[in-house]
Amino acid sequence: MNILEIKNLEVSVKTIDGNVKILRDVNLSIGENEVVGLVGESGCGKTMTARSIMKLLPENTKIDKGEIFLQGEDIVKKDEREMRKIRGGKISMIFQEPSSYLNPVFTVGSQIEEAVKGIRDKRERRERVYKILEEVGLDRSIYFRYPHQLSGGMQQRVMIGMALVNNPSLLIADEPTTALDITTAHMIIELLKKLMNSHRVSILFITHDISLSVYFSHRIAVMYGGKIVEISHSSEIFKNPLHPYTERLIACLPERYRKGEKIKAIEGEVPDFKSLPPGCPFNPRCPYKMKICEEREPEERKVGKSIVRCFKYGNTVEN
Amino acid sequence: MRRYVINRVLQVIPLIFGMTFISFLIIHLPPGDPFSKLQMDPQISRETIQQMRKLFGLDKPVVVQYFYWIKNVFTFNLGTSFSYHVPVSFLIKQKLKNTIALSVFSIFLTWFISIPLGIFAAIKNGKWEEKFLSFIAYIGISIPSFFIAMLIVFFVAKTAILPIGGTTSIFYKSATGFEKFIDYLKHLLIPGISLTLAGIGSLFRLMKNNFLECLNSPYVITAKAKGLSMSKVYYKHTLRNAINPMITIFGYELSGILSGAALVEIVTNWPGMGRLILEAVLSQDFYLVMASLLIGGILLVTGNLIADILIAFADPRVRLR
Amino acid sequence: MRIFLRRLKKTNKISFISFWIIVFLYLLAIFADFVSPYPYDLQHRDYPMAPPTKIHFFDKEGKFHLRPFVYKTELVNVAFNEYREDYSKIYPIKLFVKGKKRKILGIFETDRYLFGVEGEGKIFLFGTDIHGRDIFSRILYGARISLSIGIIGVSISFFLGLLIGGISGYFGGKVDAFLMRIVEIFMMFPSFYLMLALRAAFPINLSSIQVYLLIVVILSLIGWASLARIIRGMVLSIKEEEYVQAARALGIPTYRIVLKHVIPNTFSYTITALTLSVPGYILGESALSLLGLGIQEPYPSWGNMLSVCIGNLRVLTNAPWMLIPGFFIFLTIICFNFLGDGIRDIFDPKKW
Repeated sequence: MNILEIKNLEVSVKTIDGNVKILRDVNLSIGENEVVGLVGESGCGKTMTARSIMKLLPENTKIDKGEIFLQGEDIVKKDEREMRKIRGGKISMIFQEPSSYLNPVFTVGSQIEEAVKGIRDKRERRERVYKILEEVGLDRSIYFRYPHQLSGGMQQRVMIGMALVNNPSLLIADEPTTALDITTAHMIIELLKKLMNSHRVSILFITHDISLSVYFSHRIAVMYGGKIVEISHSSEIFKNPLHPYTERLIACLPERYRKGEKIKAIEGEVPDFKSLPPGCPFNPRCPYKMKICEEREPEERKVGKSIVRCFKYGNTVEN
Repeated sequence: MRRYVINRVLQVIPLIFGMTFISFLIIHLPPGDPFSKLQMDPQISRETIQQMRKLFGLDKPVVVQYFYWIKNVFTFNLGTSFSYHVPVSFLIKQKLKNTIALSVFSIFLTWFISIPLGIFAAIKNGKWEEKFLSFIAYIGISIPSFFIAMLIVFFVAKTAILPIGGTTSIFYKSATGFEKFIDYLKHLLIPGISLTLAGIGSLFRLMKNNFLECLNSPYVITAKAKGLSMSKVYYKHTLRNAINPMITIFGYELSGILSGAALVEIVTNWPGMGRLILEAVLSQDFYLVMASLLIGGILLVTGNLIADILIAFADPRVRLR
Repeated sequence: MRIFLRRLKKTNKISFISFWIIVFLYLLAIFADFVSPYPYDLQHRDYPMAPPTKIHFFDKEGKFHLRPFVYKTELVNVAFNEYREDYSKIYPIKLFVKGKKRKILGIFETDRYLFGVEGEGKIFLFGTDIHGRDIFSRILYGARISLSIGIIGVSISFFLGLLIGGISGYFGGKVDAFLMRIVEIFMMFPSFYLMLALRAAFPINLSSIQVYLLIVVILSLIGWASLARIIRGMVLSIKEEEYVQAARALGIPTYRIVLKHVIPNTFSYTITALTLSVPGYILGESALSLLGLGIQEPYPSWGNMLSVCIGNLRVLTNAPWMLIPGFFIFLTIICFNFLGDGIRDIFDPKKW
């Protein structure tokens, strides 16, 4: 059974100019002990997807439609009290900048200990924290340190420890390495790989870096304009990108250049949710644009093992 | 931590030196010698003038006089009051305790009221409760403290529920220690409440904005993502961070509190530093003015020092650099 | 200016209203000679501490008069300060009523005032003070002091602050350290204590003009320190901005960088800071005058009109209308505060 299944998720934000949909018809599933990469440019709705799963959406933002099944139970229907048990319990989350996501006035140990669920005894709780600190590669003495005394990599290790202290089934990692330098980032990824196996946790790995995602994930979902436009196996995606947007993303990667070649970028800009073009949201930037792309939004269709939303692969609905 | 505190205390010393210099300068810079007038004043005895001339070098140039004065200040001899004919330090000691009592009373009351209200308004941000409180706070900020005091005196005079003016009632001499304390508190209420009302508005606004800012900070999302209860999110993670800048602000606010206290003292007839310095100005009692200014400054510096040390206790980023 | 007002109206209604209230108050102050029914120092000997005159539309028989009118009042009980209306004759309130010749702003001569009553009747909108002077008229004349001192004081402080803060921020290093220590020392005195001490350095009895100038000087001497600090901070941060660095790298002379890049960029912030510091000056003047150290009788200021209320419970309880000048101080300050906030909202790019 899948750990997580998102079906037809729609999220909108209330602004002065009325309701704006920021997630539309999002479908995604994550299997047991699987890493799924969620890739896209900033502002495409990756973080909102993550926050919807936690049900920690910003003010004025709400889930309009859809279901999110966590091990078979729909959490959209759950109330705040039940969600509190799930957050940090079955699902937990780590973030981009550990330095600002850790509370500066408490010791890191106490912040991890606070997250421990189901253990009443004080000494046992403390032991649990020591154990997890060791698992993420930190000394127990770190318990009494404050966040500002640790390096970025150590802070992220603390965050990971905090997230895994209750053995969750799903870890959402929202750009966990973006704020770190490249060697530290690499170490964090290796740590996540190791812990994924020892804790048997599935990971939703959010990043804008498609090559990092390919390295770490089993499957990759590409997001654009609040929609998932392609889901493919990571072994497939470089060889055979289906959606024009994925194709462009990969073409822009620096390691793909030959000497003397001009740097490519995807032409045009990331669209604003307030002014999405009619039809396929990618059509203004798409080199394969057809007439139908401006008229209708493409449905999801299966191509081989992958799922893609593009009229290139036929414009009839088939399931 | 210890080094931080020592460092901070050491910084105060040049500051106080500078303040003595400015205090002295303000009185002596304008043209005309204030002391020639003294000698013509028949109320001041020859001996006093002789004695002061020797102690303060009144016949020497102004710069030399400063050093005379400074030497005396550090031996706690602040000079003699011309109008009261007693040592200035005696007068100040008498009034200072009332001013400190008034300030401390109103600081506690102000914090006690405005911190919870600020938190409440931040949690209710955008709702009518917050809008209502913010509007009231706006009015509070804009009413001059002396005018609040006048309105309260007017109200109390109409209803006669509290004693107005002074620190003690007539029966004070025969009262027991506890009764004396209560009597003092009763007299403190009018100036105390006036000063509090004048201060709540700005403190409330600061607290509300701080709390809102902290509420939107990433670590609050972490706390929620851990599945903590809202009360823990608010009163542990947010509050601890929102209160820190308030401690720093306390240092700045203190200037306003001392100024406000002085005015309120005068309006409500509370015998503190405010009345003392006013009377000193009116009777051109220079040593008293200089000393009052210096003492006011030292009060403020001390308050700031305390705030800076408190912040070190509250914020590990300051404590453990 | 038009664009400014339109934006203000859109972003912040209360600020927009405040702006017009401030304009209205300034107009009242400027045309005090025309608007006030009596001169500020005219003592109505028979009317000490008279309450605000009641304005009637219905007479004793219940007959309605389109033109509002007043009755003549008479002091009947000195101890309790009781006045009684004499119903025998009505005195209608007239616009552009004729009276003694006065000069508006010392230029135009007029013998007509905005409103008033003729003959024996008197109109005291806000009552009279202990000398029987019309409080409404005195408030209008007092507005001249309170409202002008705010603007002039802020301008001088701003000039001093700009000079010292600018030098400090621009040169940095030792100059900066030295000047900022001085600023710190000035800021470490409670402002009220500093104000009184500065006042003590000058003789108590001065002419009105001298006192006025003295107050401006004192308030500016207190206010410059915080403005200097703000401006220094701005100069420092702008100096590090990339466009200034770029301009310098291009070899553009310093004064041009300052004129073309630095000043326009601090403009919005400066305007906000200045508007929000006006109340401090108004408060300072009222406080000094309240304590008898500022504007001297018989010339009115909102502060010295209140001084009779200090420690005088009989006056306070029998004639609470003496407190009205305090409401005007409050009104002016709250309007300036609202206006300052509104201006900040306009210039804040986040609010667009």
